[in-house]
Amino acid sequence: MSILEVRQLTKRFGGLAAVNEVSFNVEAGEILSIIGPNGAGKSTLFKLISSFLRATSGEVIYEGENIVSKAPHIVARKGVVRTFQETTIFKEMTALDNVVIAHHLRSRASLAGFYWASRTAKEDEAQFRESAEEILNYLGIGHVGNEIARNLPHGYLRALGMAIGLAAQPKLLLFDEPFAGMNHEETQQAVKQVYGIRDRGLTVLLVEHDMPAVMKISDRIVVLNFGQKIAEGTPTEIQDNEQVIEAYLGREDEEIGL
Amino acid sequence: MTEQVIVNGIYSGVQYALIALGLTLIFALMNVLNFAHGQMYVLGAFVTYYVYGVLGLPFWLALVATALTLGIVGVLFEKFLFRPVLRRSSREESSMLLAAGTALLLESLILIVFGEKHRGVPSVVSGVIKIGDAYLPMGRLLVIVLSAILIGGFILFMQYTKPGRALRALAQDREAAQLQGVDVGTYSMIGFAMGAMLAGMAGAMLVAISGVNSGLGTWISIKAFIMVMIGGAGVVSGAIVGGLILGMIESIGYQMLPGGETYLFIFIGLIIFLAIRPHGLMGKPWG
Amino acid sequence: MMKTTTSKLAVLGIALVVVLVILPLIFSGKLYYMGVLTTAMALSIAAAGVWLTFYIGRINIGQGAFALIGGYACAILIMKAEMSFWIAMPLAGVFSAIIGVLIGYPILRLRGVYFAMITLSLTETARLSAQSLSSLTGGAKGIINIPLPGALEIFGFTLIPDFSTIDSHLAFYYLAAVLLIATYAAMYRLVNSRIGWLFRSLQQNEDLASSIGVNIAMLRVIAFAISSFLAGIGGAFFVAVQQSVYPNTFQVQDSVYFMLYCFLGGLGYVFGPIVGTFVLFLSFEGLQGLNEYQPLVYSVLMIALMLWLPNGLLSLGEGRRDKAARSAASAKDANVADSDAKAKG
Ligand SMILES: Nc1ncnc2c1ncn2[C@@H]1O[C@H](COP(=O)(O)OP(=O)(O)OP(=O)(O)O)[C@@H](O)[C@H]1O
Ligand SMILES: [Mg+2]
Repeated sequence: MSILEVRQLTKRFGGLAAVNEVSFNVEAGEILSIIGPNGAGKSTLFKLISSFLRATSGEVIYEGENIVSKAPHIVARKGVVRTFQETTIFKEMTALDNVVIAHHLRSRASLAGFYWASRTAKEDEAQFRESAEEILNYLGIGHVGNEIARNLPHGYLRALGMAIGLAAQPKLLLFDEPFAGMNHEETQQAVKQVYGIRDRGLTVLLVEHDMPAVMKISDRIVVLNFGQKIAEGTPTEIQDNEQVIEAYLGREDEEIGL
Repeated sequence: MTEQVIVNGIYSGVQYALIALGLTLIFALMNVLNFAHGQMYVLGAFVTYYVYGVLGLPFWLALVATALTLGIVGVLFEKFLFRPVLRRSSREESSMLLAAGTALLLESLILIVFGEKHRGVPSVVSGVIKIGDAYLPMGRLLVIVLSAILIGGFILFMQYTKPGRALRALAQDREAAQLQGVDVGTYSMIGFAMGAMLAGMAGAMLVAISGVNSGLGTWISIKAFIMVMIGGAGVVSGAIVGGLILGMIESIGYQMLPGGETYLFIFIGLIIFLAIRPHGLMGKPWG
Repeated sequence: MMKTTTSKLAVLGIALVVVLVILPLIFSGKLYYMGVLTTAMALSIAAAGVWLTFYIGRINIGQGAFALIGGYACAILIMKAEMSFWIAMPLAGVFSAIIGVLIGYPILRLRGVYFAMITLSLTETARLSAQSLSSLTGGAKGIINIPLPGALEIFGFTLIPDFSTIDSHLAFYYLAAVLLIATYAAMYRLVNSRIGWLFRSLQQNEDLASSIGVNIAMLRVIAFAISSFLAGIGGAFFVAVQQSVYPNTFQVQDSVYFMLYCFLGGLGYVFGPIVGTFVLFLSFEGLQGLNEYQPLVYSVLMIALMLWLPNGLLSLGEGRRDKAARSAASAKDANVADSDAKAKG
């Protein structure tokens, strides 16, 4: 069953259609990658799905419900959680606290409950701490849980970003360039982690430039160019698609032309 | 009647544009909201008052003295106050609070040196011209012309000179500019000094028309903030447009409403406007 | 752990004794000093609100507006609706909070300098409104001769006597002290509860917070409403002490000062605004002998303080602990590097 249906989704910035009438489906439990040259509209598409941007037109149907242009925290509460392209974290908190607070949307207590530290709030808190430790350990960064996040080295930060996303207990997790800046070994490791996340029952949507990794990891791929979907299919189908080859080659010509 | 409103609006608008330009320049370069801008304006007015009104030297000399004084103030502020604070802390609160502190400092200095009396100077030029049904005193015409020259000069400087290009590079992306070999420290200092000068020159012209007193500063800063909010912070065209719009609205308001109510409506309009366009007419998201 | 809790309690106890017993004993009858202390406490209440807006990552230079709104609301309720001060003051706080919600909802979307500039304009807007709505506010002439707070009775039992029958300076002092203690106790609780965590998450990254399901728009408005409420209470109290209110009772300068109090006390500490307000307000009063040089010396002191202690006065006490924490952290860093090496090796 499709967990997510993107229908005719469009976003214009002034005259520029950054995402132009894009439609595709995401099946529950798959890893779907979105690729395309720089400026193709991948990040914009992600922001539309997670509602960080208002769509100009079109629909995003998640579990049968149109969630387009709702407030981001509402979309998150329904189970669609994004991670960020940049290493975006709560810099002044410890790594563990970052992940504890990321459990927020599972909280059963009300704001008043938080204030007076009601029993539910306390129980939640203890449970979140336990779960946060588990997630950090799972991602191999349990030993730096008590470090202030801003002091952590880059590789750890990326893992922490992933941990924050996981802690929100999404059903659909959106990763924007999770492998950027990693060496081969680190990428291998990260690919394994993404598999692990899928095996936890999540559906994964991925934007990535690292082609070998994409080809290896994806069940299916959607290709964007100038805001439009130009292809969709399995990694082998995409590798043989002429339009895709052209899009990437065309881009290179341009760069040489400069 | 309407022609008079337009002429008055242009007269205020070009001066305001000059003020907003300085504020926006400092903001674009250093991400500092210069609270002391109004006080710099008042200081400029008093320097001109002293050189032209008290010493009796020529008006153009007073303008030069004003530019020099404010330039020096700008250099000192940047070098000894803002630079150390900005180096140490990236939180924008720090620089903003420092700016508020410098506003108090400048205001109390002005009060001690020049006193609290309202001061004026003899007119620089006399006579009145008539444009359609509107009257325009020559003094005001001079202000319009001088302001327009300064604004034009500023734009040409930024577009076509080497330091101008360096300043623009700095405003666009501090780190990239540094990588391209722009001397960030020196140019921040130059930019801050230029921003202070622009405020001072606007003040120098004001004193020739309606005089000045030491309490004007805060109100001028608030007006400068309004213009920058209308046009968008850190954008040159935004500052000019914001200044002209505020001048025109003010002129219309004073024609139609009693006293303080013009600004009451301007503020309410501004809040609604910003709810719709959070970064003004031409601003980039979050400056 | 135990030790810090006991020492905290001890500090708290000493502070309470000083505020509630010793200071009134020393200064009773010295009206000027009682007045200065009382005003400093009232200002600290409003400053707590500014601090909270800083805490969610907004630079608030509009507190003067909400203090003025609270002051006028209280004065009008007492004079026109003939309400008791004991009802008028909380209502004034609530009224300020409601205005805070209505204005805050649209403007809290702004960040950085835009928010700072619009809140600054708000202060001026409030002053102009007070001047223009003269049928309600008395225009520039203000509202004067506001009676002192009457008796507060519950079921015929007099909880607080009529201020005009007792030493009203001492009475206002104690009222301010009680309000101050209540305010900061509530703030302390707030910041150390889960809500404090949510507020910190807003301060550090709003986008990330909303991506994990935090309703950032609502939390921002809540923080701003609390801030406006405290301004309203502070303003209402101040007006009751002065027995009058004018459009200039709180102006742009005051808004700027509130912000400076918070900053110099320390934005990272709940009690920062009290320390900042007291130190700055008292030193301003203390410099009065300098006559026209008072503002100059004051502003120089303030700038020097900013350059010397960018994290506020309370960071002084932090110094030693911070160093200890840092060396512990670097020891841990070494451990991390160690285990990294092991993992690789
Ligand atoms: N807020 C915005 N305002 C105006 N234009 C924007 C905005 N955000 C993105 N764009 C434009 O939309 C287009 C698509 O940008 P987007 O960031 O989605 O590309 P991308 O595919 O993620 O690129 P990359 O691979 O470099 O990350 C670009 O031309 C970009 O300049
Ligand atoms: Mg992108």
